[in-house]
Amino acid sequence: MIDVQSIRDAARDLLAKGEVRAVIGYQRGSRGMLAEPVTITDPEQADELVWDATCFHNLALYLVEDRKALAHAQRTPNLPIAIVAKGCDARAIVVLMQEHYFKREDVYIIGVSCEGGGVLVEYKLARLLNGAQALSAVIDGAELVVTTLAGEVRLPASEVMADRCLECREPFPKEHNVVFGEDQTSRQLVAPFTALARFEALSEADRWAYWCRQFERCIRCFACRSVCPMCYCDECVVDSITFPVAPETTAEEKANRIRWIERSAVRSENITYHMTRAMHLAGRCIDCGECERVCPVNIPLRLLNNKMEREAREHFGYEPGASIGGPSLVASFRDDDPGQFIR
Amino acid sequence: MSEEEQAYEPKIVAFLCKWCSSAGSDLAGVSRIQYPANATPITVPCSGSISPLYILSAFNKGADGVLLSGCHIGDCHYIEGNYLARRKIYLIKELLEMVGVEPDRFRMSWVSAAEGAKYAQVVKDFVADLKPLGPQNKLKADRT
Repeated sequence: MIDVQSIRDAARDLLAKGEVRAVIGYQRGSRGMLAEPVTITDPEQADELVWDATCFHNLALYLVEDRKALAHAQRTPNLPIAIVAKGCDARAIVVLMQEHYFKREDVYIIGVSCEGGGVLVEYKLARLLNGAQALSAVIDGAELVVTTLAGEVRLPASEVMADRCLECREPFPKEHNVVFGEDQTSRQLVAPFTALARFEALSEADRWAYWCRQFERCIRCFACRSVCPMCYCDECVVDSITFPVAPETTAEEKANRIRWIERSAVRSENITYHMTRAMHLAGRCIDCGECERVCPVNIPLRLLNNKMEREAREHFGYEPGASIGGPSLVASFRDDDPGQFIR
Repeated sequence: MSEEEQAYEPKIVAFLCKWCSSAGSDLAGVSRIQYPANATPITVPCSGSISPLYILSAFNKGADGVLLSGCHIGDCHYIEGNYLARRKIYLIKELLEMVGVEPDRFRMSWVSAAEGAKYAQVVKDFVADLKPLGPQNKLKADRT
Protein backbone atom coordinates (compact mmCIF):
# COMPACT_ATOMS: atom_id res chain seq x y z
CA MET A 1 0.00 0.00 0.00
CA ILE A 2 1.32 3.42 -0.92
CA ASP A 3 1.76 5.95 1.84
CA VAL A 4 0.15 9.14 0.56
CA GLN A 5 2.74 11.11 2.51
CA SER A 6 5.46 9.91 0.14
CA ILE A 7 3.59 11.39 -2.84
CA ARG A 8 3.13 14.66 -0.94
CA ASP A 9 6.83 14.76 -0.02
CA ALA A 10 7.86 14.16 -3.61
CA ALA A 11 5.56 16.92 -4.86
CA ARG A 12 6.71 19.34 -2.15
CA ASP A 13 10.37 18.62 -2.92
CA LEU A 14 9.94 19.13 -6.65
CA LEU A 15 8.15 22.46 -6.18
CA ALA A 16 10.44 23.71 -3.42
CA LYS A 17 13.58 22.93 -5.40
CA GLY A 18 12.09 24.60 -8.46
CA GLU A 19 12.42 21.50 -10.60
CA VAL A 20 8.87 21.67 -11.88
CA ARG A 21 6.47 24.54 -12.41
CA ALA A 22 3.39 22.70 -11.12
CA VAL A 23 2.16 19.31 -9.97
CA ILE A 24 -1.04 17.79 -11.32
CA GLY A 25 -2.56 15.44 -8.76
CA TYR A 26 -5.68 14.61 -6.80
CA GLN A 27 -7.17 16.41 -3.82
CA ARG A 28 -10.21 15.80 -1.66
CA GLY A 29 -13.17 17.16 -3.54
CA SER A 30 -16.40 18.79 -2.50
CA ARG A 31 -18.38 15.60 -3.13
CA GLY A 32 -17.77 13.58 0.01
CA MET A 33 -15.19 10.86 -0.36
CA LEU A 34 -14.45 11.50 -4.02
CA ALA A 35 -11.11 12.88 -5.11
CA GLU A 36 -10.84 15.56 -7.76
CA PRO A 37 -7.99 16.71 -10.00
CA VAL A 38 -5.91 19.65 -8.83
CA THR A 39 -2.90 21.57 -10.09
CA ILE A 40 -0.65 22.86 -7.32
CA THR A 41 2.12 25.38 -7.75
CA ASP A 42 2.97 26.12 -4.11
CA PRO A 43 4.97 23.61 -1.98
CA GLU A 44 2.62 24.42 0.91
CA GLN A 45 -0.29 22.93 -1.01
CA ALA A 46 1.42 19.54 -1.31
CA ASP A 47 -0.31 18.32 1.86
CA GLU A 48 -3.65 18.60 0.09
CA LEU A 49 -2.75 15.79 -2.31
CA VAL A 50 -4.52 12.49 -1.81
CA TRP A 51 -4.26 9.00 -3.24
CA ASP A 52 -7.06 6.48 -2.78
CA ALA A 53 -9.54 4.33 -4.67
CA THR A 54 -11.55 7.34 -5.85
CA CYS A 55 -8.75 8.80 -7.98
CA PHE A 56 -10.61 7.91 -11.18
CA HIS A 57 -9.49 10.70 -13.45
CA ASN A 58 -6.96 10.21 -16.17
CA LEU A 59 -4.77 13.21 -15.40
CA ALA A 60 -3.04 13.03 -18.79
CA LEU A 61 -5.99 15.14 -19.95
CA TYR A 62 -4.64 18.05 -17.91
CA LEU A 63 -1.26 17.81 -19.63
CA VAL A 64 -3.13 18.34 -22.88
CA GLU A 65 -5.07 21.23 -21.36
CA ASP A 66 -1.81 22.72 -20.07
CA ARG A 67 -0.25 22.42 -23.51
CA LYS A 68 -3.22 24.12 -25.12
CA ALA A 69 -3.18 26.94 -22.57
CA LEU A 70 0.55 27.50 -23.17
CA ALA A 71 0.07 27.56 -26.93
CA HIS A 72 -2.74 30.03 -26.53
CA ALA A 73 -0.61 32.28 -24.30
CA GLN A 74 2.36 31.76 -26.66
CA ARG A 75 4.56 30.77 -23.76
CA THR A 76 7.33 28.18 -23.75
CA PRO A 77 8.21 27.45 -20.12
CA ASN A 78 11.65 26.06 -19.36
CA LEU A 79 10.48 23.89 -16.48
CA PRO A 80 8.59 20.62 -16.84
CA ILE A 81 5.22 19.95 -15.26
CA ALA A 82 4.86 17.05 -12.84
CA ILE A 83 1.94 14.66 -12.90
CA VAL A 84 0.70 11.90 -10.63
CA ALA A 85 0.09 8.98 -12.97
CA LYS A 86 -1.47 5.55 -12.54
CA GLY A 87 -0.59 2.74 -14.95
CA CYS A 88 -3.24 3.78 -17.47
CA ASP A 89 -2.41 7.49 -17.15
CA ALA A 90 1.26 6.74 -17.82
CA ARG A 91 0.34 4.81 -20.96
CA ALA A 92 -1.75 7.78 -22.12
CA ILE A 93 1.24 10.06 -21.56
CA VAL A 94 3.41 7.69 -23.61
CA VAL A 95 0.91 7.81 -26.49
CA LEU A 96 0.88 11.61 -26.36
CA MET A 97 4.67 11.66 -26.49
CA GLN A 98 4.66 9.11 -29.31
CA GLU A 99 2.49 11.55 -31.22
CA HIS A 100 4.90 14.39 -30.39
CA TYR A 101 2.29 16.24 -28.43
CA PHE A 102 5.05 17.12 -25.96
CA LYS A 103 8.54 15.90 -25.25
CA ARG A 104 9.68 13.54 -22.53
CA GLU A 105 11.60 16.31 -20.77
CA ASP A 106 8.45 18.46 -20.60
CA VAL A 107 6.86 16.07 -18.11
CA TYR A 108 7.96 14.72 -14.77
CA ILE A 109 5.99 11.57 -14.08
CA ILE A 110 5.30 10.70 -10.44
CA GLY A 111 4.18 7.13 -11.00
CA VAL A 112 1.79 5.44 -8.59
CA SER A 113 1.17 1.73 -8.91
CA CYS A 114 -2.37 0.50 -8.42
CA GLU A 115 -0.76 -2.71 -7.09
CA GLY A 116 -3.54 -5.22 -6.44
CA GLY A 117 -6.25 -2.61 -6.62
CA GLY A 118 -7.62 0.10 -8.85
CA VAL A 119 -10.40 2.60 -8.67
CA LEU A 120 -13.88 1.86 -7.42
CA VAL A 121 -17.24 2.40 -9.05
CA GLU A 122 -19.65 4.47 -7.04
CA TYR A 123 -22.78 2.45 -7.80
CA LYS A 124 -21.11 -0.85 -6.92
CA LEU A 125 -20.02 0.58 -3.59
CA ALA A 126 -23.39 2.14 -2.87
CA ARG A 127 -25.08 -1.20 -3.46
CA LEU A 128 -22.82 -2.99 -1.00
CA LEU A 129 -23.06 -0.28 1.64
CA ASN A 130 -26.84 -0.43 1.64
CA GLY A 131 -27.31 3.29 1.72
CA ALA A 132 -24.65 4.15 4.28
CA GLN A 133 -22.61 7.25 3.44
CA ALA A 134 -18.95 6.50 2.70
CA LEU A 135 -16.44 9.06 3.93
CA SER A 136 -13.29 7.54 2.52
CA ALA A 137 -12.28 4.50 0.53
CA VAL A 138 -8.77 3.05 0.37
CA ILE A 139 -7.67 -0.22 -1.14
CA ASP A 140 -5.56 -2.36 1.17
CA GLY A 141 -4.35 -5.49 -0.58
CA ALA A 142 -7.39 -7.40 -1.78
CA GLU A 143 -9.76 -5.43 0.41
CA LEU A 144 -11.38 -2.04 0.20
CA VAL A 145 -11.44 -0.22 3.51
CA VAL A 146 -14.43 2.10 3.65
CA THR A 147 -15.02 4.52 6.48
CA THR A 148 -18.68 5.29 7.11
CA LEU A 149 -20.39 7.19 9.89
CA ALA A 150 -21.09 3.86 11.57
CA GLY A 151 -17.44 2.81 11.45
CA GLU A 152 -15.03 0.94 9.26
CA VAL A 153 -16.22 -1.63 6.71
CA ARG A 154 -13.93 -4.01 4.82
CA LEU A 155 -15.20 -5.21 1.46
CA PRO A 156 -13.58 -7.47 -1.15
CA ALA A 157 -11.94 -5.02 -3.56
CA SER A 158 -12.87 -7.04 -6.65
CA GLU A 159 -16.56 -6.44 -5.95
CA VAL A 160 -16.34 -2.65 -6.01
CA MET A 161 -13.56 -2.08 -8.51
CA ALA A 162 -14.20 -0.73 -11.98
CA ASP A 163 -14.31 -3.30 -14.80
CA ARG A 164 -11.40 -1.61 -16.50
CA CYS A 165 -9.28 -2.06 -13.37
CA LEU A 166 -10.27 -5.69 -13.01
CA GLU A 167 -9.27 -6.31 -16.62
CA CYS A 168 -6.15 -4.11 -16.38
CA ARG A 169 -3.00 -5.75 -17.71
CA GLU A 170 -0.59 -3.09 -16.59
CA PRO A 171 -1.40 -1.45 -13.26
CA PHE A 172 2.19 -0.26 -12.92
CA PRO A 173 3.35 2.93 -14.68
CA LYS A 174 6.36 1.72 -16.66
CA GLU A 175 7.28 5.21 -17.84
CA HIS A 176 8.12 7.30 -14.77
CA ASN A 177 10.70 9.57 -13.17
CA VAL A 178 9.88 8.35 -9.71
CA VAL A 179 7.47 5.63 -8.73
CA PHE A 180 5.63 4.55 -5.60
CA GLY A 181 4.14 1.13 -4.95
CA GLU A 182 5.06 -2.33 -6.12
CA ASP A 183 5.04 -3.59 -9.66
CA GLN A 184 2.22 -6.12 -9.81
CA THR A 185 1.92 -6.28 -13.57
CA SER A 186 1.35 -10.03 -13.50
CA ARG A 187 -1.74 -9.76 -11.31
CA GLN A 188 -4.76 -11.27 -13.01
CA LEU A 189 -8.08 -10.34 -11.46
CA VAL A 190 -10.30 -10.93 -14.47
CA ALA A 191 -9.07 -12.04 -17.90
CA PRO A 192 -8.60 -9.05 -20.24
CA PHE A 193 -11.45 -8.36 -22.67
CA THR A 194 -13.90 -10.45 -20.63
CA ALA A 195 -16.79 -8.04 -21.19
CA LEU A 196 -15.99 -7.88 -24.90
CA ALA A 197 -15.88 -11.66 -25.29
CA ARG A 198 -19.25 -11.92 -23.53
CA PHE A 199 -20.71 -9.34 -25.88
CA GLU A 200 -19.27 -10.91 -29.01
CA ALA A 201 -20.92 -14.22 -28.23
CA LEU A 202 -24.24 -12.56 -29.14
CA SER A 203 -25.71 -13.03 -32.61
CA GLU A 204 -25.52 -10.28 -35.21
CA ALA A 205 -29.18 -9.34 -34.73
CA ASP A 206 -28.77 -9.22 -30.95
CA ARG A 207 -25.65 -7.10 -31.24
CA TRP A 208 -27.47 -4.65 -33.46
CA ALA A 209 -30.46 -4.54 -31.10
CA TYR A 210 -28.09 -3.93 -28.21
CA TRP A 211 -26.32 -1.01 -29.88
CA CYS A 212 -29.64 0.47 -30.98
CA ARG A 213 -30.76 0.56 -27.38
CA GLN A 214 -27.47 2.16 -26.36
CA PHE A 215 -27.17 4.74 -29.10
CA GLU A 216 -30.79 5.83 -29.02
CA ARG A 217 -30.01 7.17 -25.56
CA CYS A 218 -26.92 9.17 -26.55
CA ILE A 219 -27.55 12.88 -26.13
CA ARG A 220 -24.32 13.90 -27.89
CA CYS A 221 -23.06 15.87 -24.93
CA PHE A 222 -19.54 14.96 -26.11
CA ALA A 223 -18.48 14.23 -22.52
CA CYS A 224 -16.63 11.15 -23.82
CA ARG A 225 -14.66 13.34 -26.17
CA SER A 226 -14.02 16.05 -23.57
CA VAL A 227 -12.65 13.66 -20.99
CA CYS A 228 -10.42 11.75 -23.39
CA PRO A 229 -6.75 12.75 -23.34
CA MET A 230 -6.41 11.43 -26.90
CA CYS A 231 -9.22 13.61 -28.28
CA TYR A 232 -7.07 16.71 -28.38
CA CYS A 233 -7.98 18.06 -31.83
CA ASP A 234 -9.21 21.65 -31.73
CA GLU A 235 -11.30 20.91 -34.75
CA CYS A 236 -13.39 17.74 -34.45
CA VAL A 237 -14.32 16.19 -37.77
CA VAL A 238 -17.71 15.01 -36.54
CA ASP A 239 -18.71 18.22 -34.80
CA SER A 240 -19.34 21.14 -37.14
CA ILE A 241 -19.38 23.81 -34.43
CA THR A 242 -15.71 23.23 -33.67
CA PHE A 243 -14.66 24.32 -37.15
CA PRO A 244 -12.66 27.51 -36.84
CA VAL A 245 -14.35 30.71 -37.79
CA ALA A 246 -12.23 33.80 -38.39
CA PRO A 247 -13.49 37.32 -39.19
CA GLU A 248 -12.64 36.70 -42.83
CA THR A 249 -14.58 33.40 -43.03
CA THR A 250 -17.42 33.97 -45.46
CA ALA A 251 -20.94 32.66 -45.05
CA GLU A 252 -20.43 30.64 -48.20
CA GLU A 253 -17.33 28.96 -46.80
CA LYS A 254 -19.20 28.09 -43.62
CA ALA A 255 -22.13 26.68 -45.57
CA ASN A 256 -19.92 24.62 -47.87
CA ARG A 257 -17.87 22.87 -45.23
CA ILE A 258 -18.16 19.14 -45.34
CA ARG A 259 -20.39 17.92 -42.58
CA TRP A 260 -19.73 14.21 -42.51
CA ILE A 261 -22.46 13.69 -40.00
CA GLU A 262 -25.00 15.93 -38.34
CA ARG A 263 -24.93 17.02 -34.73
CA SER A 264 -28.50 15.97 -34.10
CA ALA A 265 -28.79 13.29 -31.44
CA VAL A 266 -30.51 10.63 -33.53
CA ARG A 267 -29.50 6.99 -33.70
CA SER A 268 -27.82 6.96 -37.10
CA GLU A 269 -25.69 10.04 -36.35
CA ASN A 270 -24.85 8.80 -32.86
CA ILE A 271 -23.66 5.45 -34.16
CA THR A 272 -21.55 7.11 -36.83
CA TYR A 273 -20.08 9.47 -34.25
CA HIS A 274 -19.13 6.68 -31.85
CA MET A 275 -17.74 4.45 -34.60
CA THR A 276 -15.65 7.31 -35.93
CA ARG A 277 -14.38 7.97 -32.46
CA ALA A 278 -13.51 4.30 -31.98
CA MET A 279 -11.58 4.34 -35.25
CA HIS A 280 -9.73 7.52 -34.30
CA LEU A 281 -8.76 5.89 -31.02
CA ALA A 282 -7.63 2.61 -32.58
CA GLY A 283 -4.08 1.97 -31.41
CA ARG A 284 -4.24 5.04 -29.18
CA CYS A 285 -6.86 4.17 -26.59
CA ILE A 286 -5.11 2.88 -23.50
CA ASP A 287 -8.33 1.72 -21.84
CA CYS A 288 -8.53 4.17 -18.95
CA GLY A 289 -12.31 3.79 -19.25
CA GLU A 290 -12.97 7.46 -18.56
CA CYS A 291 -15.39 7.81 -21.50
CA GLU A 292 -17.58 5.12 -20.04
CA ARG A 293 -17.38 6.56 -16.54
CA VAL A 294 -18.43 10.07 -17.52
CA CYS A 295 -21.22 9.02 -19.89
CA PRO A 296 -24.40 10.48 -18.39
CA VAL A 297 -26.54 7.83 -20.07
CA ASN A 298 -24.20 4.88 -19.34
CA ILE A 299 -23.30 3.78 -22.84
CA PRO A 300 -20.71 0.98 -22.59
CA LEU A 301 -18.17 2.78 -24.76
CA ARG A 302 -15.32 0.62 -23.58
CA LEU A 303 -16.66 -2.24 -25.68
CA LEU A 304 -15.95 -0.35 -28.90
CA ASN A 305 -12.50 0.75 -27.85
CA ASN A 306 -11.66 -2.67 -26.41
CA LYS A 307 -12.61 -4.24 -29.70
CA MET A 308 -10.09 -2.09 -31.56
CA GLU A 309 -7.48 -2.69 -28.89
CA ARG A 310 -7.88 -6.44 -29.04
CA GLU A 311 -7.81 -6.59 -32.85
CA ALA A 312 -4.64 -4.50 -32.86
CA ARG A 313 -3.07 -6.76 -30.27
CA GLU A 314 -4.05 -10.08 -31.80
CA HIS A 315 -3.64 -9.32 -35.48
CA PHE A 316 -1.01 -6.62 -35.61
CA GLY A 317 0.90 -7.33 -32.41
CA TYR A 318 0.37 -3.74 -31.38
CA GLU A 319 0.18 -2.55 -27.78
CA PRO A 320 -0.89 1.10 -27.32
CA GLY A 321 1.26 3.10 -24.95
CA ALA A 322 4.12 0.60 -24.98
CA SER A 323 6.89 2.74 -26.43
CA ILE A 324 7.53 6.40 -27.08
CA GLY A 325 9.62 5.89 -30.19
CA GLY A 326 7.61 3.16 -31.92
CA PRO A 327 5.42 3.69 -34.99
CA SER A 328 1.69 4.20 -34.51
CA LEU A 329 -0.80 1.47 -35.39
CA VAL A 330 -2.28 2.90 -38.56
CA ALA A 331 0.94 4.45 -39.85
CA SER A 332 2.78 1.13 -39.94
CA PHE A 333 2.23 -2.29 -41.45
CA ARG A 334 3.66 -5.78 -41.61
CA ASP A 335 3.83 -8.10 -44.57
CA ASP A 336 1.71 -10.66 -42.79
CA ASP A 337 -1.15 -8.37 -41.83
CA PRO A 338 -4.47 -10.17 -42.36
CA GLY A 339 -5.69 -9.75 -45.95
CA GLN A 340 -7.88 -12.81 -46.51
CA PHE A 341 -11.01 -10.66 -46.45
CA ILE A 342 -9.87 -8.84 -49.61
CA ARG A 343 -11.08 -10.28 -52.90
CA MET B 1 -38.26 -14.24 -54.75
CA SER B 2 -41.08 -11.72 -54.46
CA GLU B 3 -41.67 -9.03 -57.04
CA GLU B 4 -40.58 -6.38 -54.60
CA GLU B 5 -37.25 -8.06 -54.00
CA GLN B 6 -36.67 -8.39 -57.72
CA ALA B 7 -37.31 -4.71 -58.20
CA TYR B 8 -34.81 -3.78 -55.50
CA GLU B 9 -31.50 -2.60 -56.86
CA PRO B 10 -28.81 -2.03 -54.23
CA LYS B 11 -26.90 1.22 -54.36
CA ILE B 12 -23.16 0.66 -54.16
CA VAL B 13 -20.57 3.33 -53.54
CA ALA B 14 -17.26 2.20 -55.01
CA PHE B 15 -14.07 3.95 -53.94
CA LEU B 16 -11.55 3.18 -56.68
CA CYS B 17 -7.85 3.92 -56.67
CA LYS B 18 -7.03 6.18 -59.57
CA TRP B 19 -3.91 4.20 -60.55
CA CYS B 20 -5.50 0.79 -60.88
CA SER B 21 -9.13 -0.02 -60.07
CA SER B 22 -10.43 3.13 -61.65
CA ALA B 23 -8.61 2.25 -64.86
CA GLY B 24 -9.77 -1.34 -64.37
CA SER B 25 -13.40 -0.23 -64.30
CA ASP B 26 -12.71 1.81 -67.40
CA LEU B 27 -11.27 -1.25 -69.10
CA ALA B 28 -14.39 -3.21 -68.19
CA GLY B 29 -16.36 -0.49 -69.95
CA VAL B 30 -14.29 -0.21 -73.12
CA SER B 31 -14.12 -4.01 -73.35
CA ARG B 32 -17.94 -3.98 -73.43
CA ILE B 33 -18.15 -6.37 -70.48
CA GLN B 34 -21.73 -6.54 -69.22
CA TYR B 35 -22.03 -5.97 -65.47
CA PRO B 36 -24.63 -4.42 -63.17
CA ALA B 37 -24.83 -0.64 -63.12
CA ASN B 38 -25.36 -0.46 -59.35
CA ALA B 39 -21.92 0.81 -58.45
CA THR B 40 -21.28 4.54 -58.36
CA PRO B 41 -17.53 4.96 -58.78
CA ILE B 42 -15.65 7.58 -56.80
CA THR B 43 -12.01 7.90 -57.81
CA VAL B 44 -9.60 8.40 -54.93
CA PRO B 45 -5.84 9.02 -55.16
CA CYS B 46 -4.97 5.77 -53.35
CA SER B 47 -6.76 3.11 -51.34
CA GLY B 48 -4.57 4.27 -48.45
CA SER B 49 -6.14 7.72 -48.66
CA ILE B 50 -9.48 6.31 -47.57
CA SER B 51 -10.62 7.63 -44.24
CA PRO B 52 -12.94 5.34 -42.27
CA LEU B 53 -15.26 8.29 -42.28
CA TYR B 54 -15.74 7.98 -46.07
CA ILE B 55 -17.14 4.51 -45.55
CA LEU B 56 -19.31 5.39 -42.57
CA SER B 57 -20.50 8.51 -44.33
CA ALA B 58 -21.46 6.53 -47.47
CA PHE B 59 -23.61 4.24 -45.31
CA ASN B 60 -24.97 7.29 -43.52
CA LYS B 61 -25.99 8.86 -46.83
CA GLY B 62 -27.89 5.73 -47.84
CA ALA B 63 -25.48 3.35 -49.59
CA ASP B 64 -26.58 -0.29 -49.42
CA GLY B 65 -23.03 -1.47 -49.92
CA VAL B 66 -19.57 0.07 -50.00
CA LEU B 67 -16.79 -1.29 -52.19
CA LEU B 68 -13.20 -0.26 -51.84
CA SER B 69 -10.74 -1.30 -54.47
CA GLY B 70 -7.03 -0.69 -54.81
CA CYS B 71 -3.80 -2.01 -56.29
CA HIS B 72 -2.50 -5.47 -55.56
CA ILE B 73 -0.05 -5.72 -52.67
CA GLY B 74 3.34 -4.62 -53.92
CA ASP B 75 1.93 -2.59 -56.82
CA CYS B 76 1.05 0.63 -55.00
CA HIS B 77 2.00 3.77 -56.89
CA TYR B 78 2.91 5.29 -53.53
CA ILE B 79 4.84 2.14 -52.54
CA GLU B 80 2.97 1.36 -49.32
CA GLY B 81 -0.48 2.97 -49.50
CA ASN B 82 -2.35 -0.30 -49.93
CA TYR B 83 -0.49 -1.89 -47.01
CA LEU B 84 -1.73 0.93 -44.80
CA ALA B 85 -5.21 0.59 -46.28
CA ARG B 86 -5.28 -3.14 -45.54
CA ARG B 87 -4.70 -2.50 -41.84
CA LYS B 88 -7.14 0.38 -41.55
CA ILE B 89 -9.86 -1.35 -43.53
CA TYR B 90 -9.47 -4.51 -41.50
CA LEU B 91 -10.22 -2.49 -38.36
CA ILE B 92 -13.26 -0.73 -39.79
CA LYS B 93 -14.59 -4.02 -41.14
CA GLU B 94 -14.30 -5.58 -37.68
CA LEU B 95 -15.98 -2.56 -36.13
CA LEU B 96 -18.91 -2.67 -38.56
CA GLU B 97 -19.41 -6.35 -37.80
CA MET B 98 -19.20 -5.73 -34.06
CA VAL B 99 -21.93 -3.11 -34.23
CA GLY B 100 -24.12 -5.57 -36.14
CA VAL B 101 -23.95 -4.37 -39.75
CA GLU B 102 -24.07 -7.34 -42.14
CA PRO B 103 -20.47 -8.23 -43.16
CA ASP B 104 -21.57 -8.53 -46.81
CA ARG B 105 -22.33 -4.83 -47.00
CA PHE B 106 -18.72 -3.86 -47.05
CA ARG B 107 -16.15 -5.28 -49.40
CA MET B 108 -12.59 -4.67 -50.42
CA SER B 109 -10.83 -5.96 -53.49
CA TRP B 110 -7.54 -5.63 -55.34
CA VAL B 111 -8.14 -4.85 -59.03
CA SER B 112 -5.30 -3.80 -61.31
CA ALA B 113 -5.66 -1.61 -64.39
CA ALA B 114 -5.51 -4.74 -66.57
CA GLU B 115 -8.27 -6.58 -64.70
CA GLY B 116 -11.43 -5.22 -66.29
CA ALA B 117 -13.03 -8.66 -66.18
CA LYS B 118 -12.21 -9.03 -62.49
CA TYR B 119 -13.77 -5.66 -61.68
CA ALA B 120 -16.96 -6.70 -63.50
CA GLN B 121 -16.97 -9.97 -61.53
CA VAL B 122 -16.43 -8.20 -58.20
CA VAL B 123 -19.39 -5.89 -58.83
CA LYS B 124 -21.54 -8.78 -60.07
CA ASP B 125 -20.81 -10.83 -56.94
CA PHE B 126 -21.36 -7.86 -54.67
CA VAL B 127 -24.74 -7.06 -56.19
CA ALA B 128 -25.76 -10.72 -55.94
CA ASP B 129 -24.77 -10.77 -52.26
CA LEU B 130 -26.48 -7.48 -51.49
CA LYS B 131 -29.85 -8.27 -53.07
CA PRO B 132 -31.01 -10.76 -50.43
CA LEU B 133 -30.04 -8.31 -47.66
CA GLY B 134 -32.47 -5.64 -48.81
CA PRO B 135 -32.08 -1.91 -48.24
CA GLN B 136 -29.57 -0.75 -45.64
CA ASN B 137 -31.38 1.15 -42.90
CA LYS B 138 -29.07 0.62 -39.97
CA LEU B 139 -26.63 3.45 -40.53
CA LYS B 140 -28.74 5.46 -42.94
CA ALA B 141 -29.55 8.91 -41.65
CA ASP B 142 -33.15 9.42 -40.67
CA ARG B 143 -33.89 12.84 -42.09
CA THR B 144 -37.66 12.85 -41.77
